[in-house]
Amino acid sequence: MTAAITAEGLGKRYRSKWALADCTLSVPAGHVVGLVGPNGAGKTTLLGLATGMLAPSTGTIEVLGGRPGSGRAQLARVGYLAQGAPVYAGLSVADHLRLGARLNPGWDAGLARSRVERLDLDPRQKAGTLSGGQRAQLALALAVAKRPELLVLDEPVASLDPLARREFLQDLMEATADQDLSVVLSSHLITDIERVCDYLIVLAGSRVVAAGPSDELLATHRLLSGPRRDPGSLPGGVQVISASHTDVQSTLLVRSTGPVLDPVWIVSEISLEDLVLAYMSQATGRGRRNHLEVQR
Amino acid sequence: MIWLTWRQFRAQAFTAVAALAAFAILLAATGPHLVVLYAASGLSGCHPASCAGLASRWLTGLYIGHTYFMLYEFSIAVILLAPAVTGLFWGAPLIAGELETGTAALAWNQSVTRTRWLAAKLAVGGLTAMAVTEGLNLMQAWWAAPIGRAVGLGATSTFFAASRFNSFAFASHGITPLGYAAFGYALGVTAGALIRRAVPAMAVTLAIFAAAQIAMPLWIRPNLLPAEHAVVPVTSLRTITLQGGGPHSSQFHLGTENLPGQPGAWILSAGTVNAAGRATSTAPAPCTTRPSEESTHAFIECLASQGIRESVAYQPASRYWAFQWTETGIYLAAALALSGYCFWRLGRRLT
Repeated sequence: MTAAITAEGLGKRYRSKWALADCTLSVPAGHVVGLVGPNGAGKTTLLGLATGMLAPSTGTIEVLGGRPGSGRAQLARVGYLAQGAPVYAGLSVADHLRLGARLNPGWDAGLARSRVERLDLDPRQKAGTLSGGQRAQLALALAVAKRPELLVLDEPVASLDPLARREFLQDLMEATADQDLSVVLSSHLITDIERVCDYLIVLAGSRVVAAGPSDELLATHRLLSGPRRDPGSLPGGVQVISASHTDVQSTLLVRSTGPVLDPVWIVSEISLEDLVLAYMSQATGRGRRNHLEVQR
Repeated sequence: MIWLTWRQFRAQAFTAVAALAAFAILLAATGPHLVVLYAASGLSGCHPASCAGLASRWLTGLYIGHTYFMLYEFSIAVILLAPAVTGLFWGAPLIAGELETGTAALAWNQSVTRTRWLAAKLAVGGLTAMAVTEGLNLMQAWWAAPIGRAVGLGATSTFFAASRFNSFAFASHGITPLGYAAFGYALGVTAGALIRRAVPAMAVTLAIFAAAQIAMPLWIRPNLLPAEHAVVPVTSLRTITLQGGGPHSSQFHLGTENLPGQPGAWILSAGTVNAAGRATSTAPAPCTTRPSEESTHAFIECLASQGIRESVAYQPASRYWAFQWTETGIYLAAALALSGYCFWRLGRRLT
């Protein structure tokens, strides 16, 4: 099975500033991939590169084995819901569906219609007068009904209220279950990612700091607490992601392939949120910056 | 793709049809009366010797009558502005608008390549802009036919374009408006692709288009074909402008707007030369010492008797269509080059 996304040394520079640097990734197909990171970490840039909206400054990226946006066939295989769910304000809901039907050979008219009907959208309503949630749903209907193999969603729920957000994600889950679809979804809301994603990419400071299946990431990361001591005294194979110390106690978030056996430490499981926050704070300089390079 | 292009272009197309209809109604309502005025002027059966003077008087009458002069100026202005308007309001927002609203991400992620997307957009918008401008042009040509006939009879007028090479007349007749429309639209699209914001792109489009339309008649058009030169007696000139000279000054300049034997020629430059063929602006002594009551006519006669002649650089009237085709070709080539650049830029991932 080809990978959904493979990147080699991928970077994108705007003038002198790197929006994404030195990104090497291989995301297997068949996952719902969560792309998390603080604002400005490069999430949109990575997704733009994956859809061919942007051209890489360095390195290469392949999506489903092809160059992003390289032709009709490649375009047909990837659905993209851009940030803010752009739709044509002057076109009606029905016009948008017609647009999808005219421009996509694999268009699933029944699917599109049933989604729009379920959302109670008036086909004659102009898209410009839809609410944020309805607009996102319409844009999702367009992206899904073209029957892509990979669906790329950039902050699809950012502008939605909690109820609409849950409905949207539920909808998305149904679509992926029905269609055998790979999904890459960016968000800065970790709870949403946790609910729907089984694969995680953490971006911080324009770099990929962690990537892997969620359960694997959770299984290899531990929270250690014990009497204060130097993190350097940990055995090999254990990497400290973040550390906080009080006068008497140290709390470490570590990555370790094997169990940590030292009885000094109280070892506890961590949540996905703890894990993501630890990586983010590490990369933004609030944690231990020198581990940035080690982690990749 | 054609469906989406048409759906998105529908509002502009309706506006264009409405504008064409309004222009047509205005001209259709006033045109027949202009024909009546022409018929009443007696120009259609005039004696060849008196035609030019009669035609000049008729045009002056139209100018004094005001209405038809205003309509004439207005219709020319509409034709000259149409390419700028379509470039500004159709061309500039084409890509910039999609980028600004983010809908570029929607448009360019359907199963249609950007090349095809742009090809459809450029074709529909560009060809419509050309059709609109040429439509205005043809309607105006029909309406202004009596004025054109009067000019053809040799009328001179400072108010109506007395020559087909007049900057405004040349740019609003024939096929040049087609070139301007294509260029204006492609320029707008390119500015939008580069600047990525519609309003600044519109401003830049207007500035460049205006600069091109000023540079073309002033500096480029006269040099598109090598000029012809003629040296003629100063007494043979029908309309002259004399600056300085006469009994009180030895410095003079003698200009002209026509050339004997070359009706309708485009005079590029004119000046006097002495008997040796050298350019001169100093009147010979005999011509400056005459009594002051003698007229300009006598001064000219005196210059002629001293061997001073008028040297004229001009483009013959027969070259009119060569100029029309060349200029239209230049603008169409510029439009194609700009379009090619847009294809290249869009292919390289714009955002």
